[in-house]
Amino acid sequence: MSKKVIFGLYSTEEALFSAIKKAKGRHLEIDDVFTPFPVHGLDPLLGLKESRLHIAGFIYGLTGFLTAFLGMSWVSTIDWPNIFGGKPYWSVPAFVPIMFESTVLFAAVGMTVTFYVISGMGPGVKNPVLHPRITDDKFCISFSADEVGEGVAESFLQETGAEEIGSKTI
Amino acid sequence: MNKFTIKGKEKTVFMIMMGIGLLSVVLTFMTDSLPGKARFWSNFLHEALFFTGIAAMALFYMSTALVGYGGYMSVFKRVLEAMSLQLKLGIAFFLIIVIGLFMKWHHLYLWADENFVANDKVLTGKSGFLNPVMYTIFTILALGSWYFLASRIRRASVQEDEHGKFGDYTFTKKMQTYGALSLVTIGYFSAVGIWQWLMSLDPHWYSTLFAWYTASSWFVAMLSLLTLIILYLKGQGYMPYFTKEHMHDIGKFIFGISVFWSYLWFSQYMLIWYGNVGEETVYFKVRVDHYPVLFYGNLIMNFVLPFLLLLPNTTKRMRGTMVFIAVLLLIGHWIDIFLMVKPGVLHTVQELSGAHEAVGEHGHEASSFVSGFTLPGFLEIGTFIGFLGLFLYTTFIDLTKACLLPVNDAYIEESIHHHVV
Repeated sequence: MSKKVIFGLYSTEEALFSAIKKAKGRHLEIDDVFTPFPVHGLDPLLGLKESRLHIAGFIYGLTGFLTAFLGMSWVSTIDWPNIFGGKPYWSVPAFVPIMFESTVLFAAVGMTVTFYVISGMGPGVKNPVLHPRITDDKFCISFSADEVGEGVAESFLQETGAEEIGSKTI
Repeated sequence: MNKFTIKGKEKTVFMIMMGIGLLSVVLTFMTDSLPGKARFWSNFLHEALFFTGIAAMALFYMSTALVGYGGYMSVFKRVLEAMSLQLKLGIAFFLIIVIGLFMKWHHLYLWADENFVANDKVLTGKSGFLNPVMYTIFTILALGSWYFLASRIRRASVQEDEHGKFGDYTFTKKMQTYGALSLVTIGYFSAVGIWQWLMSLDPHWYSTLFAWYTASSWFVAMLSLLTLIILYLKGQGYMPYFTKEHMHDIGKFIFGISVFWSYLWFSQYMLIWYGNVGEETVYFKVRVDHYPVLFYGNLIMNFVLPFLLLLPNTTKRMRGTMVFIAVLLLIGHWIDIFLMVKPGVLHTVQELSGAHEAVGEHGHEASSFVSGFTLPGFLEIGTFIGFLGLFLYTTFIDLTKACLLPVNDAYIEESIHHHVV
């Protein structure tokens, strides 16, 4: 599953943006872009779709909510009915804090696990870092060597003013 | 199009709204058969509280951004300034209520009746705080300090338009100082004011988080009215720099404060329900038994619907949903305040006229419907429309007095290029 990527480093957002626009104009398919911080307007420029993680989060939250509601209802009416403070067995206001907490718990844990799974992260996974400075102060565009071609990618990066060009098999 | 002018048509609409309001107020006064014109006075107090709270929270919201270096609101700051200046209406409304308190025009407050207080141990104990003099002092301190600070922030902001320069932060610092003072005074006096104006309608009852609960209700109502005013102005071609991004921010605020409101509502309800102490549960007992539609409708309108509708990212960026939510929440929180005011006043009327004992003998449930109290009638809605017209009209007049874009504001560039997603 390893692939070879050609990447170039830019030192400003403006250079990065103009390079991406040029690449789009020439129909060169960009493999990935790395920035040291979130850059406004990058997602729409790359044509990235809105993440669907929050939909998953809502479903997890709803699951947690229903689990707590149905669980508490079952425990307090069927499994082990007890009278607390003269209240009826099925006292919904008393369940609300538990419903709230388990909604938060299910949504948080579920979203974290989902995020790890879909982005291929986890314990023991090696993270291929193209260049140490892309987490510091450099903006990086990478092309897949198979799809774009090494020569084309390198000449494109040179042309758009990349300060450093390299390749790596990941 | 940064200079706002009121069109003749808008004026006509406001005049019609105020006309409906005046007609409703007069009709309420004429048809009110309860002792002390309780329906008329409780309607007046209800609207006074609702719109004073909206103006005060506009000042609070503006101050949070001033103190917290918030740049996003600069493009719509003028609307907030104009809304906060309507504290002058609040002063006028409460002046009438305070004068009425001394002149015995109304019997809204049970603690204002000396004969009753003398025979009531609880109210005698509370009379150091709940008496007409303290009521007047705190009303003056609260509304006076808020209006003073609102007008100072406004003055500095308008002066900045003319005398401000790039890189000159004297006006920004001035507004920050007033903003910080506003946060403190609103934080303190809103609590005291709400105890005096609203919680003392049920004078035997108390709740420690009632003040925050009411204030958060005001906050959501203010944000809804702000959304409606801004979107109206935008529809008329003003404020072209107010974009989806700013609307998204307001939407997030509406969502957040609605959830905060629900949190406080539930915290208050659950502790009282769980504790089950008679003197505390009486507040909810009355509301659940006699006002079930409003009681549960309140939760659906102010929590369930805005929560589900504003949860996705996209709905906060759509005009239609935001208008729908704003109208829903404005009415919802109006009903919330209705539910805080009316049962207490009705109880006071029954206590003072001796009807309470009669009701007690024949069973509490028998024919408890009182028009204008159990559900808002046409006269209540008419009064609301009238006060809304007045509030909007005076807000629009204040909007015309300054450029809609604070051109020399320190954060104006940041605000125009504001970007959320």
